[in-house]
Amino acid sequence: MGDAQIEAFLTREARLMDEGRYREWLDLWTEDARYWVPCNDDDIDPARQVSIIYDDRDRLTQRVERLLSGSVLSQQPRPRMRRVISNIEIGPRDGTEVTVESNFILGVARGGTKHLWIGRSIHQLRETGDALKIARKKVLLIDNDQEIPLLQFLI
Amino acid sequence: MIDVGNLIQGARIHGSLYRDPDVFERELNEIWYKVWVYVGHESEIPNPGDFVRRTIGRQPVIVVRAADGTVKAFFNRCRHRGNMVCHPERGNVTAFTCPYHGWTYSTEGALLQPTFEDGYDSKLRREDFGLVPLPRLDAYRGLIFASVSPEGISLDEHLGGAKEFIDLFMDLSPTGRVSLTAGNQKVRYSGNWKFMPENSMEGDYHGPFIHRVAFELHSKKTGFDVSSLYENEIPDVIRSLAGGHMVEDYRGATIVPPARPPSAARRAYAEAMERAYGEEKARRLLGTMAPLIYIFPNLMYLMTHIRVVQPVSVAETFVHYQPMLLDGAPDEINEERLRMHEFMFGAAGFISPDDIEIMERIQSAVNAGGNEWLFIGRGEHRDKLLPDGGSTGFTMDENHIRGFWQHYSTVMNAGG
Repeated sequence: MGDAQIEAFLTREARLMDEGRYREWLDLWTEDARYWVPCNDDDIDPARQVSIIYDDRDRLTQRVERLLSGSVLSQQPRPRMRRVISNIEIGPRDGTEVTVESNFILGVARGGTKHLWIGRSIHQLRETGDALKIARKKVLLIDNDQEIPLLQFLI
Repeated sequence: MIDVGNLIQGARIHGSLYRDPDVFERELNEIWYKVWVYVGHESEIPNPGDFVRRTIGRQPVIVVRAADGTVKAFFNRCRHRGNMVCHPERGNVTAFTCPYHGWTYSTEGALLQPTFEDGYDSKLRREDFGLVPLPRLDAYRGLIFASVSPEGISLDEHLGGAKEFIDLFMDLSPTGRVSLTAGNQKVRYSGNWKFMPENSMEGDYHGPFIHRVAFELHSKKTGFDVSSLYENEIPDVIRSLAGGHMVEDYRGATIVPPARPPSAARRAYAEAMERAYGEEKARRLLGTMAPLIYIFPNLMYLMTHIRVVQPVSVAETFVHYQPMLLDGAPDEINEERLRMHEFMFGAAGFISPDDIEIMERIQSAVNAGGNEWLFIGRGEHRDKLLPDGGSTGFTMDENHIRGFWQHYSTVMNAGG
């Protein structure tokens, strides 16, 4: 898993999220996935503290099923969104896994308003056969301790 | 001046109540600065010097555990030049020092030190410059309420029949105590604050429409099917309490839990509950969902959490979802509650965001003219009036919303 492959993976994940390609995005994850958006602070104990998102594979699948159902009201119509990922820092390889940190700015346009979501993603990627997968992803929103609008898409 | 009485006609609510800035200003003066407002829970400030910063209407407030162990609440404003004395949202202090000119106050609110004191007239009395306490402060089962107004009914009288329902969710803890120490999901929406209580206590009617997919996902995963709630409406589920409080009381509903062997943690929790309350009461508490309740004007309990609604402007609102941990319950139970909470609530949950989207759409739609009236008449013909001024209705009835508005009308017009 070279640096270029890792960066291409993050770029592709970003595009799938931006374009609402939920099923393809779900396929990027391992079976023991953990998708985590902490609340109030970046370092909390999820066993004792609430998160904005703390999904295992089951919950992640439910999240995608719900988005695909067409029933999510704030996704009718689906807002246009694009994100830029940058400041990518690739950690040392640890066996089949590598931790990658990156910053993102995501613009979401809907109903005449635009909202910027800004944060840092920490991906733990795993080599499985011929593909990279996300084993763990933690998203540190800069405003996770403040009043935020609805987050009914993938971040 | 607005005659609010004309805007609330039984089951007809005028759209301007959600969009008129003058109505909002009047609400600040007649509701938020008069009545008891929930400002926090004792578990948030367990130790001397612990504080949380809160807002009543637009007024910043500090709620602090003083050095002597009692809870105090002060207007968050330096007596010198009006700066916010306490800026962090929560923390622990030995004293509050205003960062502007260094005036320092004890946790009891006394002015300890006007800095460079030799420049002040010797007749200046420190005791005239303490932090100003909220005129009224009281608590029920750890829930702290304050009032900006020195006059009014007691908290006991304000809560009235709501106390019975507060007891029911507090008693989900084997010790009778809960902790609001699991953080605070904060969401903002572009809509009036009153949509939040109206919607939050009316989930049985709108649930099958906007929450259907979330219900299906939940029932597929757990086997827990809520559709029985809709097939046969049950009397007395919806309750309007005197004082504008609203309840969804499921104690009369038979909700059959999925036939699965309970986990070791569930068994330990049930046993702890039996030890605490005896077998019969424990079975009653655990056998059905604790009633959902709204305490006028800003406090709610729903299933997993305490919810606080905070008006910002006529069309902008903050809502805080603080999960409620059960003291004395196994850690696994509290962890389950957190995961359940995240499934339903907060900005990324599967339930409350659809409610909030509706609130934003109503906010736009009530600008439409033609017929200005919203209709909250479901079940009006079968309201069961109670001697204490409350009433009950069937599962999907709107009598509690009518009760809310009736109380709102009384309070809004009380100032003359």
